[in-house]
Amino acid sequence: MKDYRIVFEKTGRMIYISHLDLNRCMLRAVRRSGLPAWYTEGFHPHLYLMFPLALSLGTESVCEAMDIRLTEEMPEEEICMHLNAALPEGLHAHDVHTPQYMTKDIGSARYEVILQGEGLSEAWETFLAQEQIIAPKHTKKGMKDIDIRPMLTTEEMHTEGDKLILTLRLPAGNERNLNVGVVLSAFGKHADKPFLTKKVCRTKIFCINGEEFF
Amino acid sequence: MKKKLESFLLDVQKPSRYCGGEVGQIVKDKEKVDVRFAFCFPDIYDVGMSHLGMKILYSLINERENYWCERVFAPWQDMEEIMRREGIPLYALESLDPVKEFDFVGFTLQYEMSYTTILNMLDLAGIPIWQRERGENIAPMVVAGGPCCCNPEPLADFFDLFILGEGEEVNLELMDLYRDMRDRGASRSEFLRAAAQIEGIYVPSLYDVAYHADGTVKSVTPQGHAPAVVRKRVIVDFDKVYYPEQVVVPFIEIVHDRVSVEVLRGCIRGCRFCQAGFLYRPFREKSPETICAEGRALCEHSGYDELSLSSLSTSDHSRLEETLDEMLTYTAQRHINLSLPSLRVDNFSQSVLDKITAVRKSGLTFAPEAGTQRLRDVINKNVTEEELMRTCKIAFDGGYTQVKLYFMMGLPTETDDDIVGIADLAQKVVDLFYDMPDRAKGKLQVSISAATFVPKPFTPFEFEPQMEKEEILRRQEILRRAVKSKRVRVSMHVSDVSQIEAVLARGDRRLGRVLYEVWKNGGHLDSWEEYFDAGRWYAAFETCGLDPAFYANRRRDYEEVMPWDHIDYMVSKQFLIRENEKAHAGVITPTCREQCAGCGANSCLGRACF
Repeated sequence: MKDYRIVFEKTGRMIYISHLDLNRCMLRAVRRSGLPAWYTEGFHPHLYLMFPLALSLGTESVCEAMDIRLTEEMPEEEICMHLNAALPEGLHAHDVHTPQYMTKDIGSARYEVILQGEGLSEAWETFLAQEQIIAPKHTKKGMKDIDIRPMLTTEEMHTEGDKLILTLRLPAGNERNLNVGVVLSAFGKHADKPFLTKKVCRTKIFCINGEEFF
Repeated sequence: MKKKLESFLLDVQKPSRYCGGEVGQIVKDKEKVDVRFAFCFPDIYDVGMSHLGMKILYSLINERENYWCERVFAPWQDMEEIMRREGIPLYALESLDPVKEFDFVGFTLQYEMSYTTILNMLDLAGIPIWQRERGENIAPMVVAGGPCCCNPEPLADFFDLFILGEGEEVNLELMDLYRDMRDRGASRSEFLRAAAQIEGIYVPSLYDVAYHADGTVKSVTPQGHAPAVVRKRVIVDFDKVYYPEQVVVPFIEIVHDRVSVEVLRGCIRGCRFCQAGFLYRPFREKSPETICAEGRALCEHSGYDELSLSSLSTSDHSRLEETLDEMLTYTAQRHINLSLPSLRVDNFSQSVLDKITAVRKSGLTFAPEAGTQRLRDVINKNVTEEELMRTCKIAFDGGYTQVKLYFMMGLPTETDDDIVGIADLAQKVVDLFYDMPDRAKGKLQVSISAATFVPKPFTPFEFEPQMEKEEILRRQEILRRAVKSKRVRVSMHVSDVSQIEAVLARGDRRLGRVLYEVWKNGGHLDSWEEYFDAGRWYAAFETCGLDPAFYANRRRDYEEVMPWDHIDYMVSKQFLIRENEKAHAGVITPTCREQCAGCGANSCLGRACF
């Protein structure tokens, strides 16, 4: 028995697949792939898959993680190859390794965001200049207004024509999590002008200790 | 189109209903295909994707390199609003191309309440709703298949042609003819006249209907060389019929989220209320080898962990046990759940139960259909109380604690005693459970579901009136009062839908105007309770000067010309009359396997069924 962490991307039409649907899709893909997947014991054995960090609907990613347990050791490239042959367009595994960190170690994630419209960089600056940014957020107790300003870090920003290109760092994981969609809709309200969201992509997951989640 | 769609998909529920891209979908280069077929299911993705017929025909057409079949479903209200607002026409999921650009726009007619959704989908596609307004351009050809084609008359003015019976052969013949004639520059009407010569193709515009003063049909007259009677198509060698090895695997959870093998077609039972039992005759089954090979291929290609052996009555397969044995050696090893959705009370054995519970245990469903033996004899549902009790005992011994019992109300000759009989039967099931010393832990739940009976064409009850709504409501109340135990739960349907269904099932061409009127006033997705509006329907009947009771609640003479009499589903009218007479005399008809009842299907098959 051996555990593997599969790093995959979720792009194109696959951004419309919810986390639950992704889980179901991956289960079937693993079954099609012929990988020697491990099943739980007990009365209703099921295939064991674990996603350390969920991705919200509408967001792309190049760094999603999925943990799987196989009944035997296999070369990592081979796992990748078998799985990719069974995945639909838009889901693609590009790395397989032995998990180093656990779900509870996850602390933050990096996103690349491209917005298109007039005067967006000024709007972003005034957005960040606010002392507080109150936004509605899903919590375990339903929708709640919270201040997202302290959670929001802009690592980089530049413009290309009428495009604003942002690199954001947001808390992620079990303890504190901020959905990039919440940030963008708060910005939409603040900017009060029309813009198009060209791209929202998770590019890296980090641990609380600052290391890359691996 | 793709770009435009993408900007709205995050505003709707379950966006993956609308963007395709699933494993198993077939994408071709449109420049390299000759004929494009848009397979339209007049309901939402979640329902349509569960439909077996669509999966078969989708793969069958796509096996032909130069033909391309794609899927189209009705959008839910949220998506429709966006499509209408943004000018996005109805499109197919594989190419995202507008349906209007296809050669064939083919609908499947599964239930009457989907008819208004068809009109709405044509409108969303930008295709003229009335056939006569489509002009002489050969494309798009608007066609339909499926069980409701046995009486397509209410839809006659909307469709270019109907495909009667099983589509595995005739669909390709039709597409071949289309390709040849289109390449020679034929017009719509030229093509339709030629298509009417293919067995199983009914072109309604080639038939003139005359009516008597009392509103009944006087005659249906074919024009030119169109055949006087159009006979449905059947597959003679069912064991060899095409079956897909892969299906489109949806991302979202759909109604029937599993792969299935069709183990047999037709039914040996002859229950007199059941339209499917007559429409799909003659009875034919697949061999265990074929079933197992098809089941394995589907599981391997799709990755599903549930396989269903489906048919109208799977336990009537003559070699079911050996099929199960072989299938289980494969499925159990791979953690695949094997399910048998349609078991019958009378031949449900301990060993079959053991085999399916070896994988997973869930509730059991039985359909006694009527509460007393007398009425069960009338409808030829040859299940006795003893058999039901014996089966329930087996189930309770096996640890089951949930039993669902399906009944109908308003059956011909039904009395108040028959209604009370439903409650009595449920009570006996309850008593049986609590009288068992070693019964399973937990509470017993017996659910009674009582639907309103709808008389359908090509059944021995096609002559019968549907019971009036007030009387149904009175009988529903009797049932509610007759149920004493807290372990029994009763659910019953609203009878307005049943009356509309009864009207459309046995309706004639004049109902096309009613359908149009209902749609024009906002009616579609009528099979969904939240969208069905009885008032809208009754207002439309009034506007069109038609009386729903004339269609639903009137007894027909045996001599009356039915609106579908020019359509032949291989069961003769003489047989239906004989069965109707036997029903009123309370005489049962044995199964086809025991004794041929002479319905006529075997002569069409060219050999005895058994």
